[in-house]
Amino acid sequence: MHELGIATDLLDIALAEAKKHGGRRILAVNLRIGVLRGIVPEHLLFLFGHVSKGTIAEDARLEVEEEPIRIECGSCGPSEAREFVLECPSCGRPCGGVGGGDSLRITSIDIDTD
Amino acid sequence: MKVDIERRIQQSAEDSARKIRDRLAARKVFAVNLISSPGSGKTTLIEAAIDALHGKKRVAVIEGDIETDIDAARIRKHGVQAHQINTRSSCHIQPFLLLSALDHIDLRATDLLFVENVGNLVCPAEVPLGEDLRIVALSVTEGDEKPLKYPLAFRTSGMLVITKTDLLPHVKFDPERVKTAARAVHPDIEIFEASAVTGSGLPAFLGRIEALCDRKNG
Repeated sequence: MHELGIATDLLDIALAEAKKHGGRRILAVNLRIGVLRGIVPEHLLFLFGHVSKGTIAEDARLEVEEEPIRIECGSCGPSEAREFVLECPSCGRPCGGVGGGDSLRITSIDIDTD
Repeated sequence: MKVDIERRIQQSAEDSARKIRDRLAARKVFAVNLISSPGSGKTTLIEAAIDALHGKKRVAVIEGDIETDIDAARIRKHGVQAHQINTRSSCHIQPFLLLSALDHIDLRATDLLFVENVGNLVCPAEVPLGEDLRIVALSVTEGDEKPLKYPLAFRTSGMLVITKTDLLPHVKFDPERVKTAARAVHPDIEIFEASAVTGSGLPAFLGRIEALCDRKNG
């Protein structure tokens, strides 16, 4: 349910940026979301469609780039995963460290200025 | 035309969280954000903490639930300040709600503020409330694979407390497995085991809270 707050924030940021750059229509909102964030893109899209009705962001696409988790293995070096793991996916040994996967960012918007 | 932005979402929530942190800092109040799934024993743990810290720390509690003020009423019976937030449709306490709830607590008469979040291992983990310490509680009846299923809750918490340990003889729950999983997700997490029913493990857990609280209270 926290997707609603995120959708509202997204809309506010996108509208403000579009206005600043003379955008008449927002075509796409581009996001980077970590896999650990537990955000369902379809749910976010649905809510964004709802909150953006009647604004210049109505009908905008939401492009979500998934940010994976970084895994550091003493033997195999760095790799990536889409869910939490205790062992290196390649060699099966316990991972030295894990990081990333927790971004929640709006990276850019595509706007029409004509 | 592409406009680069590169900004974190939830800026407004972060702004409220910062205001909360500032208000708590001004009064030197140590705040704990307690998260867990429903029924893990958060309220019982807070009740035990209030009784054990009586005379040492002035405790206040802000309770978060979708509906009812049952928990705040329970807490008030222990003779401390309590305020109830009803989040209605929201599955977690939002920072702006906590910010206005602070108006109902006399922070000058508070050393330690417990914020009991809505029972939910997902959304509360997403939302910093300006707390000093986030504690995730996990009861032994919930299964020992939870840190792997809900990594963000364990990753963002400074402390894990395994609750209802008096039930260990009756359930298939391996505390060591939980600890391994929790540390895989968050290597620095501090882990305690406690039973609010028998009191076992509580002194170590509460001793640590008190020490952290001391640092902030100055």
